[in-house]
Amino acid sequence: MSAPLKAYKRANGAWGLRNQVLILPLHSALSSTARAIADNSDGAVAISHDWSGEKDNDLARIIFTLSGYASNPNIFATIFLSIGNPEEEQIIKGAQALGLTRFSNLLLPEIGSMEKLQQQALTIANGYVKEASAEVRVDAPWSAIVLGLECGGSDALSGITANPALGVASDRLVELGASSVLGETTEILGAEHLLAARAIDPAVGKKIVEMVARYEDSINYEGIDIRGAQPSRGNIEGGLSTLEEKSLGAAKKAGNAPFTGTLEFGEIPKVAGLYFMDTPGHDIEQLAGFGAGHINVVVFTSGRGTPTGSAIMPTIKVSTNTPMYESIPDLIDLDAGTIADGIETLAEVGDRIFDEIVHVANGQLTKAERGGHHEFALSRMYNTVVR
Amino acid sequence: MILPTVICSTHVSRRIAAEVGAVTFAHQHGCAIIGDDVAGIDNFFVSLADHPNVSSVLAVGLGCETIQSQELSAKLLGRNKSTQYRIIQESGGVEGTVAAGVKAARELSEAFPSAPAAVAKLRIGLDLGREVDSAATLEQLLKDEGCEVVVARSESSSAETFSKLSQENVHIIISFPSDSQPASGFPLIPVINVAGTGVLHQAIRGDFDIDESALLSGIVQLLTDVATGTETVAEKSKSGEIRAPRVVRSA
Amino acid sequence: MTNPTRKVLILGERDNIAVCLADLSVGDFIEQDELKIKVLNLIPRGHKIATKAIAKDEGIIKYGERMGHAIAPISIGEHVHVHNILGDRLSAEQV
Repeated sequence: MSAPLKAYKRANGAWGLRNQVLILPLHSALSSTARAIADNSDGAVAISHDWSGEKDNDLARIIFTLSGYASNPNIFATIFLSIGNPEEEQIIKGAQALGLTRFSNLLLPEIGSMEKLQQQALTIANGYVKEASAEVRVDAPWSAIVLGLECGGSDALSGITANPALGVASDRLVELGASSVLGETTEILGAEHLLAARAIDPAVGKKIVEMVARYEDSINYEGIDIRGAQPSRGNIEGGLSTLEEKSLGAAKKAGNAPFTGTLEFGEIPKVAGLYFMDTPGHDIEQLAGFGAGHINVVVFTSGRGTPTGSAIMPTIKVSTNTPMYESIPDLIDLDAGTIADGIETLAEVGDRIFDEIVHVANGQLTKAERGGHHEFALSRMYNTVVR
Repeated sequence: MILPTVICSTHVSRRIAAEVGAVTFAHQHGCAIIGDDVAGIDNFFVSLADHPNVSSVLAVGLGCETIQSQELSAKLLGRNKSTQYRIIQESGGVEGTVAAGVKAARELSEAFPSAPAAVAKLRIGLDLGREVDSAATLEQLLKDEGCEVVVARSESSSAETFSKLSQENVHIIISFPSDSQPASGFPLIPVINVAGTGVLHQAIRGDFDIDESALLSGIVQLLTDVATGTETVAEKSKSGEIRAPRVVRSA
Repeated sequence: MTNPTRKVLILGERDNIAVCLADLSVGDFIEQDELKIKVLNLIPRGHKIATKAIAKDEGIIKYGERMGHAIAPISIGEHVHVHNILGDRLSAEQV
């Protein structure tokens, strides 16, 4: 049976579920200009960040992240805003190598001022938006879906309702030939042995355990007790007492499918399957890693509620409990709290999430997209020692 | 100032600020921070709220993050009575919080109107991102005019230096970005950008306020104008990104 | 999976805690399958209740997996949370 999907086919064979025009500043001083261009345009999007082109410990990670992000298949065209540093050229070349074909690079020193840069970029952005809206979706296979699994503001019901229900949807998609990516290394710490046992071969299992160990070592090396951040203040209020407890619940997002492989932060999966990506628990940094890894749709479960969205990846929010769903109606797309109340089964909610992913893949807007939430954060190591 | 206490509330903060004409900024901190960064970021937010250029503070939080807005606000209230906070998870989501935040911001500006007052001593921050021959002369000139001067040398870009100078409570920054860096601003503090003779700076001369060659003769008038309300070029373009000090990766 | 009349949820056969599906008050009595527990504290929905007596340093088992250890003896019916348990990893005992 063919998949009930229509998507945008990119030159390198990847599939876009959106057709965004992205304004990407390559210097923090251009971030507000990028946002102003998007705000004044006919539908372009922008991200902002605080990197000023400096060559610090994190330079390679930042170049890799921005190259991957700029070439995500959900993007029709990217407009880079540059000041002429060599690292910018590396990012643009990197994005081309990863499949970006339509782009413009606007160099501030050639154009002469921020104001003129803004005007020129706006004209180009509107041109791209017009072209993008003329492109039509075509029949796509299940492998067109590359799903990102995310949770944030978890509570004690996360591991009982929304996360295992998302696991049901993820398993169904992986079975059909789609890809699914679990992230947040911190939030599998304590559950890594369960995931490793599901690896397709021992090397993949070993790598999952190693990725957690190198994170744990780096924090132990700093002599840090991470309570307060993991589990967070909100997690503790929601009934989660330890990081391991949070992880055992968080890992349920990945269902029961076998793990095909592991991905470094921002790495792109090469064949379809279920993956683990080494990302931080920080929701927005982790979403940047997903975007760089060419994930094209995200399901985000939450016990406390969050406005988070992405400029390029539709992000479907699922609540773990019904009172939260009812108290912040403009943030959450689906409620899985019905499982705890005995109203629906895990399988039923899993099917609803699956259907929602298909609808959103075909173009239905999520609440975060309608609200214009485009948070972005670069993931950095700062001074943390990783051996 | 609308102070988002976590990245997740920056969008809501921007909407509130746009509605009431307040200042705000984006950042990527406030959650999943560990070790020395918890106190570091908390202190940074306190110093921003405590800055002399800020009249009132509305802290906007999500609710589940590491830095809790109500605790931060309690700390701020001890220093500035014109402080309130709102939390997205307790105010009915985005629309509810924008409405509640706009109302709170208006209450603050009505209850605590800012009136112009004479400044006894202007504190000026110098951001030296490049070698500036006239730096010592400039410093002396400013001191002769009755200003206090804080000098910071930026390692690579001005973003972190601006944050450091803001913690020193400077009223105005005079920035000398390196030849490979553009002009930039800081949300709470007017930044006077001084252009060098390099290719980049001269190509985007319009983004700068003054040339280095004209600095000594023109700076006193420029400072007087800016201190009495004339917007710098960076202020006009509403540069809004800040770089907060961090030492450890996110949890 | 659950039904609305159930007050707690046990997630694994060897678990020594259960998850509360409703806010529980002191003196509430849980009678569910083989379970007969008198609630000793106020326990919010989603939080954990001890279904077995747990000695200091003994593992806390949820979903059939170890999620940390007790830092004080815990009685059946007691609230199990950050005041009496601690994670095994990346958490330090508070002095």
